Amino acid sequence: MNELKSRIKEMIVTALELEDVTAADIVDDAPLFGESENGLGLDSIDALELGIAVKENFGVTFSVVNEETKKHFYSVDTLAAYISANMPK
Amino acid sequence: MKSVAGKVLFAAFSVLYPALVFCGLEFWGLSPRRLSLMLIGLAFVHFFNVTKGRSKGSGGSQDRANIVKNFALVALMFVCGAIAFFADNILFLKFYPVLVSLSLLAFFSFTLWKKPSFVFRLACLGDKSIRTSPSCRFVERYCDRVTLVWCVFFVVNATIALGTALVGSDRIWSLYNGLISYILIGILFAVEFMVRKMMQKKMQSYIPVCDLQRDSRPDGAIVCFDGASERTWSEFVSDVSKVRRFLESSENRPWILHCEDSYFFIVALLSMLQSGRKAMVTANRQEAFIKEIKKPGYGFITDTPFGDASAGAVQIQDILNGPEVETLWNSFDKNAAEMVMFTSGTTGEPKSVPKRFSQFENELYELVKVFGDDWVGRKVYSTVNHHHIYGLLFTVLLPTATGLPFRRHRIDYPSELVSLAGEKAVIASSPAYLKRLAADAEKPIEFKYTPIIYSSGGPLPEEVARKCEGITGYWTTEIYGSTETGGIAYRQSKNGPIWKPFEVCKMSIGENDCLNVKSSYILEPEGFTTGDLVEIYDDGRFLLKGRADSIVKIEEKRISLPEVENRLKQTGLVQDVRVVPMVGSRQYLAAAIVLNAEGREKFKDLPKLEINNFFKKHLMQFIENTVSPKKWRYLEELPQDTQGKIKMRDIQALFGIPESPNFKILKMKREPGTVTLKLVFPETSDFYSGHFPAFKLLPAVAQVDMVVTLAHALLGTSQTVSRIQRTKFSYPILPNVPAILEMSYKADAGKVAFSYTLEEGRALSSGTLVMTEAANA
Repeated sequence: MNELKSRIKEMIVTALELEDVTAADIVDDAPLFGESENGLGLDSIDALELGIAVKENFGVTFSVVNEETKKHFYSVDTLAAYISANMPK
Repeated sequence: MKSVAGKVLFAAFSVLYPALVFCGLEFWGLSPRRLSLMLIGLAFVHFFNVTKGRSKGSGGSQDRANIVKNFALVALMFVCGAIAFFADNILFLKFYPVLVSLSLLAFFSFTLWKKPSFVFRLACLGDKSIRTSPSCRFVERYCDRVTLVWCVFFVVNATIALGTALVGSDRIWSLYNGLISYILIGILFAVEFMVRKMMQKKMQSYIPVCDLQRDSRPDGAIVCFDGASERTWSEFVSDVSKVRRFLESSENRPWILHCEDSYFFIVALLSMLQSGRKAMVTANRQEAFIKEIKKPGYGFITDTPFGDASAGAVQIQDILNGPEVETLWNSFDKNAAEMVMFTSGTTGEPKSVPKRFSQFENELYELVKVFGDDWVGRKVYSTVNHHHIYGLLFTVLLPTATGLPFRRHRIDYPSELVSLAGEKAVIASSPAYLKRLAADAEKPIEFKYTPIIYSSGGPLPEEVARKCEGITGYWTTEIYGSTETGGIAYRQSKNGPIWKPFEVCKMSIGENDCLNVKSSYILEPEGFTTGDLVEIYDDGRFLLKGRADSIVKIEEKRISLPEVENRLKQTGLVQDVRVVPMVGSRQYLAAAIVLNAEGREKFKDLPKLEINNFFKKHLMQFIENTVSPKKWRYLEELPQDTQGKIKMRDIQALFGIPESPNFKILKMKREPGTVTLKLVFPETSDFYSGHFPAFKLLPAVAQVDMVVTLAHALLGTSQTVSRIQRTKFSYPILPNVPAILEMSYKADAGKVAFSYTLEEGRALSSGTLVMTEAANA
């Protein structure tokens, strides 16, 4: 699971071309979106990019974007849980 | 006819009045009662004059005031005469000279309050051309002062006249009022006449450049200076003759002109204009650029050695060092004389702007009209390039037209300004120089005469203008304009951000809500539409509201870049900022920030991410996350060209270099083909690892690698090196010590020359890289 999380963090930094943030800086349970103390403060465009990146990297798709999927994108933890549950075996 | 006779009678009796009264008393034995009839008679004559004069008066406020004054005088004359008559008393007859002085005082001071002043009106009656001449304001100011001097004189004269009437004997009264007072008036006239002659000599004689004659100025008049050496008018005429002789010895063709020395420049330019050669003025003398604009048959004249021999560059010094020739000088037709200017434009691509000399001449006329009276007796200094329109007008053409001496070489460093402390100076400067002056100067410069400073080329931040006022004592006058339009408006930011247009410029709102200008120095009848958003007020003054291209869409969301910039400035931690749109896998904004002293203090030891987050959090209160900047750079100075112009393209290029923990860019200056960077390599940089762990210095390979990376990003070179030539590593680059990296790229040879130096100039290393193949520049 930890390996998956660090892969996700690497993916976030690379796919979103983040500057001044390394994978190590991302806190597992901090919110990825919106305003918060230790979060990344990503925006809605980043969400779209991230969705594409998750599909490319892990083969996991989000067919419908709804409140439910937004929950999976809340933090690295939630994203890791969703990906590991849905990753094609 | 009658009224003229009445006026003469009145004037003659007024002048002779003290003498007549004295004679009447002393020699003719007349009683005061009889003498009072003279005063009453005089009052009748004056009353008759005034009523006659009124019927044809034009009814202006001055005329009305004059009439009121005259009636008051008549009334007082009657009163004094009547008292003298009934009381048979001489005292009230002696008040008449006091009344005359007071009535003149009333009239003169009224015209000072309701301009134009009386003396100025007289001057204009004498010389009708004053009102339309560029020195009109200067003359008016002088006349106002003379009017004021007369007012003071009348006060003093009335007081003395009153004194002689009250306590003096008849003899003293008549001696003062009948003689001394007139002598004083005569002396005042004579002194004023001499002062006026002196002022006229001091007033620079403005002559349009195209109308200058061989003998327009005295032979020994100083044209320019440099240190202790000077060039005089006669030397100037002889130098122009030599260059004209040279130009006219070959067939008529356009000439590309680049001279660093302003004197050589004006000699060459005037020669071309007088001999009908088209002058193409270029600040950029990069070989590739000259090659591009130099069509077959074109000439190229310069004062600096030019590398590429095939360009056939003519050194102006060679011509001037040649033998004397007969004087060649003539005025020329300003409407026929052609010039070309080059502007970098906002996109960065050089653009040629054709000009007629009349455009410059008409603008000069306007500039002299507005600013000319401030320049009397001054010398002209420059911190800007005279190959651009503002420098051309202010530092070369204006001194030539007004006869003010100019310095041949630019002032490059803020520290040089101290050397002007004893001079009466006009300094044509720019935000780039003034910003550095504001940052560098530690204490005010003790100017003997407050200098006059102009700034143009970009907006001067109010904060910088304020600091410069503290240093120089002068609130910089900013000129707003462009190569296409010439000067449009001016302001001093102590009066707020509003621009006052030059009288000849007519403002309107054109395409895309941008400012459209029509003026006597824009040839197109439809005027020129700038790229600046504007709000125009009823009185014609206006406020600039950013560039039209400053509104961008980020992922379909409209955002004004100045708005984001202003929000960032609101934090009080930012000295300067530019926000630019970027396109990567998505569109986003990026912010280049120069922190002010408070900002530097606040963020001193914080990691960059936390500084970013501070600003992001602040912006979140006002703007959506999507349009909040995603990338940030904290610099010592915003990227600019040597003119101090900050271009969106340069800032975007800066963001094109990925942020790296290994080095930090603090400053960047970019010109076509060259770039200068101030870099610092922190001790945590990977570049040091494995290389003398105890004594960290930047390995040669890392230095070369930096050049490859940065030349690719900023100069468009390829990313691979085929050969390394002439490298020299003479001094180590140490952690945290800023180094200046200068790189220039010759596209046709595929060579990048680089040098690392310390800020104070010590050479660290240098070399030339031959790149595998020339990529697209």
